[in-house]
Amino acid sequence: MSPEYSLRSLLLIILATFSANASNWLYLAKLSSVGSISEEETCEKLKGLIQRQVQMCKRNLEVMDSVRRGAQLAIEECQYQFRNRRWNCSTLDTLPVFGKVVTQGTREAAFVYAISSAGVAFAVTRACSSGELDKCGCDRTVQGGSPQGFQWSGCSDNIAYGVAFSQSFVDIRERSKGASSNRALMNLHNNEAGRKAILNNMRVECKCHGVSGSCEFKTCWKAMPPFRKVGNILKEKFDGATEVEQSEIGSTKVLVPKNSQFKPHTDEDLVYLDSSPDFCDHDLKNGVLGTSGRQCNKTSKAIDGCELMCCGRGFHTDEVEVVERCSCKFHWCCSVKCKPCHRVVEIHTCR
Amino acid sequence: MAGAIIENMSTRKLCIVGGILLVLQVIAFLVGGLIAPSPTTAVPYMSVKCIDVRKNHHKTKWLMPWGTNHCKKLRDFDEAVSRQIEANDIVFAVHIPLPSKEMSPWFQFMLFIMQLDIAFKMDNDLKENAEITLDVSLAYRDDMFDDWEEIAHAIEIRKLKCTFGSPKTVESEGRHYDCDFLPFMEIGSVAHKYYLINIRLPVNDRKGINVGIGEIKDIRLVGIHQNGGFTKVWFAMKTFLTPSILIIMVWYWRRITLMTRAPVLLEKVIFALGISMTFINIPVEWFSIGFDWTWMLLFGDIRQGIFYAMLLSFWIIFCGEHMMDQNERNRLSGYWKQVGPIAVGSFCLFVFDMCERGVQLKNPFYSIWTTEVGTELAMAFIIVAGICLCLYFLFLCFMVFQVFRNISGKQSSLPAMSKARRLHYEGLIFRFKFMMLITLACAAMTVIFFIVSQVTEGHWKWGDITIQVNSAFFTGIYGMWNLYVFALMFLYAPSHKNYGEDQSNGDLGVNSGEELQLTTTITHVDGPTEVYKLARKEAQE
Repeated sequence: MSPEYSLRSLLLIILATFSANASNWLYLAKLSSVGSISEEETCEKLKGLIQRQVQMCKRNLEVMDSVRRGAQLAIEECQYQFRNRRWNCSTLDTLPVFGKVVTQGTREAAFVYAISSAGVAFAVTRACSSGELDKCGCDRTVQGGSPQGFQWSGCSDNIAYGVAFSQSFVDIRERSKGASSNRALMNLHNNEAGRKAILNNMRVECKCHGVSGSCEFKTCWKAMPPFRKVGNILKEKFDGATEVEQSEIGSTKVLVPKNSQFKPHTDEDLVYLDSSPDFCDHDLKNGVLGTSGRQCNKTSKAIDGCELMCCGRGFHTDEVEVVERCSCKFHWCCSVKCKPCHRVVEIHTCR
Repeated sequence: MAGAIIENMSTRKLCIVGGILLVLQVIAFLVGGLIAPSPTTAVPYMSVKCIDVRKNHHKTKWLMPWGTNHCKKLRDFDEAVSRQIEANDIVFAVHIPLPSKEMSPWFQFMLFIMQLDIAFKMDNDLKENAEITLDVSLAYRDDMFDDWEEIAHAIEIRKLKCTFGSPKTVESEGRHYDCDFLPFMEIGSVAHKYYLINIRLPVNDRKGINVGIGEIKDIRLVGIHQNGGFTKVWFAMKTFLTPSILIIMVWYWRRITLMTRAPVLLEKVIFALGISMTFINIPVEWFSIGFDWTWMLLFGDIRQGIFYAMLLSFWIIFCGEHMMDQNERNRLSGYWKQVGPIAVGSFCLFVFDMCERGVQLKNPFYSIWTTEVGTELAMAFIIVAGICLCLYFLFLCFMVFQVFRNISGKQSSLPAMSKARRLHYEGLIFRFKFMMLITLACAAMTVIFFIVSQVTEGHWKWGDITIQVNSAFFTGIYGMWNLYVFALMFLYAPSHKNYGEDQSNGDLGVNSGEELQLTTTITHVDGPTEVYKLARKEAQE
């Protein structure tokens, strides 16, 4: 190893330790103005990437659009899943994207890490199937050059490439720290859980074809679940997440459940280290927007109900006339012809 | 057909022949399991949503999903709404294969199925029995810089069969319907390097075309083709098997013509079986590498059909000819009851295949299953064929049962018979039981391997060795039936021992005196007519 190299890697490690947050790359989702990432210089300008991610970006320029798409997917899905909760996954226009909540080892952080690594795996796999990427499938697992490999035995599933890319891009910061701190362990675990949410829920679909349509040949393939389903699965995992602490088994550090009565968590479960704040009050320093001004449901007793959502501060009720679309004629895409209908509704907002 | 080789062979020689065949059988399995890749590959394609920017869409223009000339893309349909793009301007484009790959004639066929991602929306629900109208076209080119040449264009209607797992409330908006995949396209040859599919979903409110099909999010295609490696192994196997069966066939027929009598029915049927086996074996598929013959798939089906029909007929006739009762058959017309169902069944499957793959020669997007009438017709053909098959097996089982009953009857009276007659019957019984044994073994192997290949995953791993179960199934079973036919022709050919005495002993059955001098030669008497005469005599006694 040359001294220059070791110096550089040392520098990298220092850089990595000081950079604020591993999920900063999600800031990519905000960069719709940049257009497509097609030049190496763009990589340098992208905010939120650590040095090694910038290097990966330069090496895999064509994949970066999918990474950005994955980040957008993840944030959209997060906001959908948390639309009725006090913390509604709202993003800030500054770094870190979700505020400090996600830099602490909370449940919310666990979810964000999981859904974002799943988002990248999903978007890259999808881009593979639509022909946007050149080096999916064939290069990794099938021996022989790609045209020969493809002609002899076909290619492996694109999902393998998507997951592998997500692993190397998203996990890179945790890995560069040497995977020793308990936060790094937690993040790595949750990243993997996110990808497992896709991998373990792949649908196997088969088609019979043969003489007179008999099942002489049966060909099966794996299809990704819709991303909404991945979001639902991860939300369930969020609700049942395990609180963990670090413990040493031999020389390796592992995360074990804090409460030894609980079942140990599996690869698919989310884990967290710190309990979450109540997200009630506006606290910009920590990136918590608070629930003031949020709409709530008067009749619900759950978290979206006004009682819980407004943290007992009470709520306003306004009568608002809304214009709704009614007796619509839809096409499968794009065109909707509706009549406007006026309706008066009560809207409750937290104080 | 008295005096087959199998009866005159010593047990040692029979074991040697069996051993050789067994070794060849194992090789056939290993060739598929170790050398060949899995038989087919499925490649998922996600269609790219292109915008057709031209004003009128009458002239065909090909829209490319990626590459140098790629179309103006839409990322999702929310973008289309904001840009006020209409449904009729959107084209779903799929390029086959994916970038930096080429299709090859070794893929033999391409089969595409279509999956629609339809999102649930409260106010834009999927109609009951919704039908989707697709304006599809297929083009090819052999060079990245050529123009696209049209292969086919069609307007197809497909029924949507979708279910929704969650309750239909506002909460579940955005979830996808669970839709059955739709048959999309099938072509019987892959003669070109690049293919392009353009799909449009034209909307016409007045005619009610593509109305009420929900909110389509994506169109996915899955392309299935045979693996090049498997095709090569398969061709190699066929090329090797053709001469082997051909040689034994010639040898067998020469044996028969050397005899003084005309060949009997059973001999003819075995010969016909050999012909149909050779018909399958002849590797005409080699031509598909150089020529764009889309009918090869259909031709392959027909060849297989002929072989199956021949095999089934052979079993019936073999049983009938070993019945050992007083009826003289030796004519095909004597088996009309049993062979009839085979003929009807194969005819039905032939018509069905012509309706499906025959029409696909003209229109690759056609499928008989997409229309109500077509489905009923197809089901009718398949059901009739199924009934015929059941009927056939009932007949076959009954005949086997009869033979065994006769055998046990004969066995009890064997010691009382004269030596010549006893040897004769023993020969018949041995021949029949041997045949029963290997046939059952082959059939059982086929069924077991079929089930295993359907149930298990594509490959098994033992350490570093990967065994492709499905390929092993295909090459193994194919090799097995070849060996079966080979063994039949070899073992059931007339024995050439004591040819010289044939003449003098020809009229053996008529000589009513005890046949002291014929103790060994009686089994070589030509033709079953003698057997029947013997049997009749016995009955008179």
